[in-house]
Amino acid sequence: MIHMYLPIAGNSVNIFLILGLGGFVGLLSGIFGVGGGFLMTPLLMMFGIPPTVAAASDSNQIVGASTSGTLAHMRLGNVDIMMGAMLLVGGIAGGTLGVQVIKLLRAMGNADFLIAVTYVIMLGGVGGYMFWESLQGLKSEKKNPAGQVQPVKKTAKEKSFIQKLPFQYTFEKSGCEISMLLPLGFGILVGVLAAIMGVGGGFIMVPVMVYLLRMPMHVVVGTSLFQILFTCVNVTIMQAWSNHTVDFVLAVLLLLGSTVGAQIGTAVSRRLKADQLKIMLATLVLLVCIKMMAGLLMTPAIMVALKGGH
Amino acid sequence: MKRLINIISIWLLAFLLGPEPSMAASKTVRFELAASTIEISTFYNGTTVEVTGSLPTDADLLLTLSGPKHDVELKLKGKMAGLLWMNKADVKLENVPSVYQIYTPEGTSSEFPGPQSGIGYKSLAREITIEPESADKMFIFGEYVKLMEKSGVYGINRGSVSYAPAGEKRKNFSATLKIPPKMGADTYRVEAFAVKDGAVAASAAKDLTLVLSGLPRAIASLAFGRPLLFGIMAVFIAVATGLIIGALFKGGGGAH
Repeated sequence: MIHMYLPIAGNSVNIFLILGLGGFVGLLSGIFGVGGGFLMTPLLMMFGIPPTVAAASDSNQIVGASTSGTLAHMRLGNVDIMMGAMLLVGGIAGGTLGVQVIKLLRAMGNADFLIAVTYVIMLGGVGGYMFWESLQGLKSEKKNPAGQVQPVKKTAKEKSFIQKLPFQYTFEKSGCEISMLLPLGFGILVGVLAAIMGVGGGFIMVPVMVYLLRMPMHVVVGTSLFQILFTCVNVTIMQAWSNHTVDFVLAVLLLLGSTVGAQIGTAVSRRLKADQLKIMLATLVLLVCIKMMAGLLMTPAIMVALKGGH
Repeated sequence: MKRLINIISIWLLAFLLGPEPSMAASKTVRFELAASTIEISTFYNGTTVEVTGSLPTDADLLLTLSGPKHDVELKLKGKMAGLLWMNKADVKLENVPSVYQIYTPEGTSSEFPGPQSGIGYKSLAREITIEPESADKMFIFGEYVKLMEKSGVYGINRGSVSYAPAGEKRKNFSATLKIPPKMGADTYRVEAFAVKDGAVAASAAKDLTLVLSGLPRAIASLAFGRPLLFGIMAVFIAVATGLIIGALFKGGGGAH
């Protein structure tokens, strides 16, 4: 077995294991448009990487995987750059606000309890709704002549409300004409939740784009990767500068696996119907929710943990 | 005659009261490390260090490997609403060694000398302080030890010291120290204790130094010395890797 020493993490890892881990999470990012942070960081911690280094190095690898995945989706015409930019601006504002919310929660006490409950509710709610909705879609199989599932149609009331909002803009790739305030507002909401839950926000952003902005699933994946790319560029630089927690060797190993995985994931996503993609993502989210609930309910083997982790 | 008697008396006194080199030496413990400096290079995955030495025949040997002391911030788990296990409180253990391993001989009960000897987890607990002071120090330190044993930097290695006869009054010993990859670049202390009748009769100590070399040293130097440049470089390399992989897959991942 070949090992490499990680100087910032202060530990050595099996190279093939890390390459495989990166490949698996990259595959998920290519298929679903999620950064994989909610999976990668806990997995890295399981292999002995300190929590803060795992989170920061994971952001670094997400930059590479998202670059690769965004490019692949751009070639397929699946990236709505304007929509992604609006969501990103909102996400940055929301993330900044979210950090203040966390400070307030910590001052009030029981912040960790609220964060854990938010996790379980969000994962369970989002995963459950996506699973049920995509199951209905697969059963009914409404297809257009091109063989793709239509995005969820807006009701007359929704159309009227949306048309009355200012700053209307035609988002061509997403196939919708809506106010710029909508993606900005939802971006802020996702940013706040992401800051509270300590994740990149992909698994929240994707359902927001599908169910609230009513974007086609394939455009959602590409646009989500585009937005995550810039979020993680910011996080990587800040973490390296302020906390010295980006392990370059670990990030490169993860990158080599995840960039290849993201390409494969993109190719896989092309062969799947939108409802199939949604139901797979919903299943993944629900599994993570169950794992989290098990962690909350079962007596831990060790009653202390190093500070700084999830 | 009187002068001869004085000389003989002085010689007898010197013999009875003076130091007996061979007797004093036979009560000491001596040891050597196969390596006193270990380089942590690119493919480092931990290592071992042989320890050989000698001690009095009627004593037992205890070896310890300990790291510098520091403060550790921990989260203490507890039940919320009587149902959910989560991080409930922050605690800080002060004056905790980063590494603590004990090596004991085969075939003995290996009871450690009393807490005052400085050997064993109970001795460590006496020297550690905790914040807040109201927290249960012994319980929390016990859980911290479990956490550190899981990563290999703490441990009691029973039956890991071997003896061989070396004469009437002394015996040789050998042991293999485990140096896990989690032991970072720092200076550690190896101590050998000759224990007799439940008390430390003699001791000796040597330093063991771990240093970064090659690529790990270059990266650590950049990450801590020029962190902003390091962060920007990490991003550029990530983007470049993504672009290269994307270009490589261009033929296979084309549009509909």
